[in-house]
Amino acid sequence: MKILKSLFKLLVLPLSLLLILSGCGFPGLGGNEKQTIKVASMSTTEQQIMAYMMKGLIEHDSNLKVEIINNLGSAAVTLNAMKRGDADISAIRYNGTDLTTVLGNNAEKDPAVVTKKVEQEFNDRYQMHYFKNYGFADTYAFMVTQEYAKKHNLKTVSDLKKIAPKMTVGIDQIWMNRKGDGYPGFKEQYNISFGKVYPMQIGLVYDALQAGKMDAVLGYSTDGRIGSYDLKILKDDKQFFPPYDASPVATNAILKKHPELRPIIQRMVGKISLKTMQRLNYEVDDGLAEPQAVANEYLKQHNYFEGSDK
Amino acid sequence: MKGMDLFEQLGYYFTHNGLYILSQFNRTFLIAIYGVIFAAIIGIPVGIWTARHRKMSPAVIGLANVIQTIPSLAMLSILMLGLGLGVNTVITTVFLYALLPIIKNTYTGMTNVDPDVLDSGTGMGMTSWQLLYMVELPLSMSVIMAGIRNALVLGIGITAIGSFVGAGGLGDIIIRGSNATNGGAIILAGALPTALMAIIADMVLAFFEKKLDPVKRKTA
Repeated sequence: MKILKSLFKLLVLPLSLLLILSGCGFPGLGGNEKQTIKVASMSTTEQQIMAYMMKGLIEHDSNLKVEIINNLGSAAVTLNAMKRGDADISAIRYNGTDLTTVLGNNAEKDPAVVTKKVEQEFNDRYQMHYFKNYGFADTYAFMVTQEYAKKHNLKTVSDLKKIAPKMTVGIDQIWMNRKGDGYPGFKEQYNISFGKVYPMQIGLVYDALQAGKMDAVLGYSTDGRIGSYDLKILKDDKQFFPPYDASPVATNAILKKHPELRPIIQRMVGKISLKTMQRLNYEVDDGLAEPQAVANEYLKQHNYFEGSDK
Repeated sequence: MKGMDLFEQLGYYFTHNGLYILSQFNRTFLIAIYGVIFAAIIGIPVGIWTARHRKMSPAVIGLANVIQTIPSLAMLSILMLGLGLGVNTVITTVFLYALLPIIKNTYTGMTNVDPDVLDSGTGMGMTSWQLLYMVELPLSMSVIMAGIRNALVLGIGITAIGSFVGAGGLGDIIIRGSNATNGGAIILAGALPTALMAIIADMVLAFFEKKLDPVKRKTA
């Protein structure tokens, strides 16, 4: 019995330490320090660039430190991280995605309606502030190589119908089973079902297409490799894919705690055009530059967006 | 980046992103070292205690063994449920994995002390504390150090995987390389420093281990 008692004492120590561990910050790592803002970023290039841009801007304009919670899997994961308090800001949220997958609404074609609905619902349901659009929208797009388009005379997504059963198609793995604007909905609206579908890591689809391993892929319209590989984007003639305007989102709690944050984030709104985003993405994806380096370079070039407060 | 071979690309990457790699290197190292330090704070006393109560050794070491068998990615995900995303989860994971080598080596080191030496210590009138820090610990220090060395190398490996729960570090570079076009050079840029860190940590601690070896110390 005595042994058990002293063993018990021995175990109390590590367990209490575990609890302390979970709640404290470590020198050199940021962690849970009071002045640290945590920005959640997904694993896509675009997200990481914007996360580092936000970090650069906030650290330049205030005394706050920013820590990036990187490589999160999906929009749902980043939202949960914010709900739990693991993150305070989401570097980019796409309002079309949030409307259907997060809020569970039906897809909506009118961008103005989407924006309004999502802003409202995020405020009411999650106490988060949905900022206005960065200036670019990302959407899914089917793309093929130029030769393939010429060979089969492809211009729009509907043109795929005849050859679809024989096609090998690579898609974003999140898209496969998603409600509303996912593959099931796509099959219904276009009445197209591909022969072989490979869910892939989104960053790999462009190379797979270029290498001839896929006949067509579903990628992001902002990706810089579309230009560098000269890929042909098929027009979404039935307007299946809703607009995915890219915006920063912050919890109301953090905006209240650090009032200086709101104008800083606000300053990024409308500053990044689609062209710019494609170029920045390209520098990272194809130019061996780190998102951090690209983001800081851009901030410096534009003087940290100074003198452009609205 | 066409027209460059892998090593040119690697060189280009290092010259253009040097500071970033350095900061991630630091981060990885700190995460691993914090986990191991905590494990040493807990593990060494537990090992000493187990050596004193040998009946309990199968239970204690068995428990540490069980922790070790959980795959690291699964462990990270399980801990993530409780601790959330970020760096603390990874430090805790490293801590848990580092426990086994440290406890086991402390236990082994303590039990391998020659009973005759202990007897003569007791004969000289040493209390059990004095025996511990004047006889047992110095004699087993190099074995304990070997455990810490094992733990740190293990910890560095786990920290690289920790990027999946948003902790950052060199693993971030590896993951990004796997997403980029021709990311081979980027993957190497993340993997080589990680390997280098493990090798250097191993060498430095091996040096200390030798220094602390009582047999070699005497002859020196």
